[in-house]
Amino acid sequence: MREVVILGVGLHKFERFTDKTLVELGEVAISNALKESGVPFKDIEAAYVGHCYAAMGTGRSVVTQFGETGIPIVNIEVACSSATQALLRGAWEIASGLYDVVLAVGVEKMGTGLISMGGETDRYIVEMGYMVMPASYAMRARRHMHDYGTTFEQLAMCSVKEHKNGALNPYAQYQKEITLEEVMNSRMIADPITLYMCSPTSSGASAAVICAKEKAKKYISKKPITIAGWALSSGTYAREALEFGGMEELAQKAYNRAGIGPEDIDVAQVHDAFSPGEIFIPESLGLIPEGEGGRWIEEDKTEINGVLPINTDGGLVARGHPIGATGIAQVAELVWQLRGEAGPRQVPGKPKVALQHNAGIGGVIVSIYKR
Amino acid sequence: MAVQRKQVPIDGRLFKLPSSPSEKAHLIGSRCRSCGETFFPKRSYCANCTSPDMEEVALSTRGKLETFTISRATPPGSLIQAPYGLGYVRLPEGCIVQTVLSECDPQKLKIDMDMELVIEKIREDEEGNDVMAFKFKPV
Repeated sequence: MREVVILGVGLHKFERFTDKTLVELGEVAISNALKESGVPFKDIEAAYVGHCYAAMGTGRSVVTQFGETGIPIVNIEVACSSATQALLRGAWEIASGLYDVVLAVGVEKMGTGLISMGGETDRYIVEMGYMVMPASYAMRARRHMHDYGTTFEQLAMCSVKEHKNGALNPYAQYQKEITLEEVMNSRMIADPITLYMCSPTSSGASAAVICAKEKAKKYISKKPITIAGWALSSGTYAREALEFGGMEELAQKAYNRAGIGPEDIDVAQVHDAFSPGEIFIPESLGLIPEGEGGRWIEEDKTEINGVLPINTDGGLVARGHPIGATGIAQVAELVWQLRGEAGPRQVPGKPKVALQHNAGIGGVIVSIYKR
Repeated sequence: MAVQRKQVPIDGRLFKLPSSPSEKAHLIGSRCRSCGETFFPKRSYCANCTSPDMEEVALSTRGKLETFTISRATPPGSLIQAPYGLGYVRLPEGCIVQTVLSECDPQKLKIDMDMELVIEKIREDEEGNDVMAFKFKPV
């Protein structure tokens, strides 16, 4: 299999409301990614476009703004991990030798309030009140508090850190710091998750240009970042698991493919759809010892200057979470961190290896990137 | 004389209403004859071993509260109004049931406490029947 590198990434700022169309959002992100990559659009051989709420054929509408070159443009839906799956679908095809250069995109425009699944859902699931997205994180958080003594304050500290990082990110939806008291006293949504521990509904776009490493020299791009290993799971049945089982094995698969271990990770993005995710997700990935997530946030170990910086761009909570676009925004931040271009958010000590965890009701992805 | 209104389940796959006063309502699960795992709701193929050799089983009406939350917002289309409890109840058969809780005071809910199935009216249907849904309540 051939090595695959990221030549360029680009975003359209995430925001709560926008007058722009999906095409306009996507155009900005793709244009930025193409610029970073030095790849002319006519060299793109295929495009994968992640989104969840957009109309059919949205991928074609967005990508053909740059030219009608006849390339296959395929829409990808894996809920919150749609954009990462778009990126990795391209990576698989480059690795296998089918294409040399692929464009991956994520675009989304969302309404406000508690989100729905869209489309048809079993009537009883809707009527019986199960469709409360924060409930899943809330129940895992409560179990963590019960099992390991994690505190409500520690959950709130995650949100404080997310907003602190978001304040340094020009692409973030919320660029304003927030106090512990504000988080703890904000409206309770699903105990123990308060409003400021929730990712917002958002609109935005993300894009990446990826290439076979052996062909990358053709382009005058920024420093290429290697997609070193990745694994996707729809969840393995496990009696003890409340929802997705087999996450430890999934992470191990990604580590093995990248030829590294969790101790090698210098910076990570984890899927904090709700702040407490920053506590229990890194534990499931072997990044933080089991049960110690609360203590780690309290001891500032996951801050930009900490031993394991997590969600340096503000995470889903502060950067925003336009579902189908989130994945490549996570990747973009890691690419900038590995290139040393993250500005005021830059992790010190020249990070070499980065981990991405992108999870949704459609599946979970763990990906490793290397400089 | 008032006519007893007919009760119908919100979804016939989920639970069975008692057919006589001496019976109790129960959730319907599936047990895999191949690996022995039990599931709720019922399914045609085993999630654990993929076997199609599944038998329908009447599940225990009591279990333990694995974890819970109180939803303070009513999601679109929900007939259960906030605040309401949501939880996972582990049944003795090993399977886990996602459920609404009849209790919404977090002080009165505790992880590992014993919970019991209750069937309650959630709405009426077009024919005037009482549509029933299930919840769990602390024992």
